[in-house]
Amino acid sequence: MTKFMLNGQEVTSIAKANERLLDVLRNEFRITGVKCGCKEGECGACSVILDGRLVNSCMAAMGSIEGSSVITIEGYRETERFAVLDKAYASVSAVQCGFCIPGMILASECILVKNPDPTEADIRDGISGNLCRCTGYNAIVKAIGIAAKEGEGLW
Amino acid sequence: MVNSYQATSLKEALDFRAKAAVTPYAGGTDLMIKADENVTYLFLNKVPEMKNIVEDTDYIRIGAACTFTDILESKLTPAILKEAVSHIAAPAIRNLGTVGGNICNGSPKADSALIFLATDSKLRLVSSRGERVIPINEFYLGRKKTALQADELLVEILMSRVGLSNYYYKKVGARNALAIARVSFAAILHLENGKIVNCMTAFGAVSDDIIRRADIDGMLIGKTIEEAKVVKEDYLAAYDREIVPIRGRISAEYRKTVCMNLLRDFLESNGI
Repeated sequence: MTKFMLNGQEVTSIAKANERLLDVLRNEFRITGVKCGCKEGECGACSVILDGRLVNSCMAAMGSIEGSSVITIEGYRETERFAVLDKAYASVSAVQCGFCIPGMILASECILVKNPDPTEADIRDGISGNLCRCTGYNAIVKAIGIAAKEGEGLW
Repeated sequence: MVNSYQATSLKEALDFRAKAAVTPYAGGTDLMIKADENVTYLFLNKVPEMKNIVEDTDYIRIGAACTFTDILESKLTPAILKEAVSHIAAPAIRNLGTVGGNICNGSPKADSALIFLATDSKLRLVSSRGERVIPINEFYLGRKKTALQADELLVEILMSRVGLSNYYYKKVGARNALAIARVSFAAILHLENGKIVNCMTAFGAVSDDIIRRADIDGMLIGKTIEEAKVVKEDYLAAYDREIVPIRGRISAEYRKTVCMNLLRDFLESNGI
């Protein structure tokens, strides 16, 4: 049994302590915005925000998140910041198949929290653990830059 | 059935460690790649005594459960460690992965362990029986084998506060982010009044263990740069004999050539 905050709500998981957060989110809580790509921390599709920091949910055992806060795209999409990122991504067609995008959006949030006015290098480092096989990244990098400008004061 | 222990203090962690067969879990980024359903983890990620970075008169003391992000954000972190850690994986992995896990996983490719070897850092190993502080080069006993006893935990890494500023570091990987080192090399050349008072080098990802040969580096200690030039070729020849790379995804010949090129570049960048 693991108690933690999931998108602002206190929840209790019945999963074993050595199960992956990724599997529990998808199978027990039906939080399917968290995607399973590689299960080895390489692709970032399963990214969530754990206690304010971006992590791969495939790399976190349930026992390590007791008492922690987990934000997934399902929770994040209710925020004003999401609306700014959503618009920015759409404005430059930064989404193609969409599989990487939940993780990519949460990575974008973490880049902007750390630095509301990031350089291109900061942005590229911030999404360096999030693979996208469609876009070639340039549109995503551009979108995060646009969000930084349009969302002035939000981050 | 108990399948995990969650420690909230070091004492609690050591008690669990002493009474049960557990796998210490700090960040999980190595362990979870091959998640084992039958394993019993001892979770250390919320043990406060293992999460601090502090300094005393001699050392910077880094808690073994500090994440790579904690290392990057601390003002106390020596530049050589900061640079190496900034090249580890990607932000999401750096937010979970820890230095203690990197060391205890026992891989010769461990990016932060290389730096602790190259700086002759010490490890504070604690059990409910007591504690010992050992040089990190006594910790590694061969491929995936360490000196950690079944009831011990690595609690802190002790880095020298002085003499580490003139460093050389290169990680050769196939890409920028999420790269596993093909060869990595770290070195310190500490000069005082024109004399080499310390020379420390370490080669990672080459052999079963990270290679740290204080006996060979000793050839340069006590010499001026000019005197070091005289023994340069003997020094390089000694390493050329002693580095015997293992073949992995890439050839042993490639690894050897890169090692020797980096070693030479380290010397030449210091005027030797």
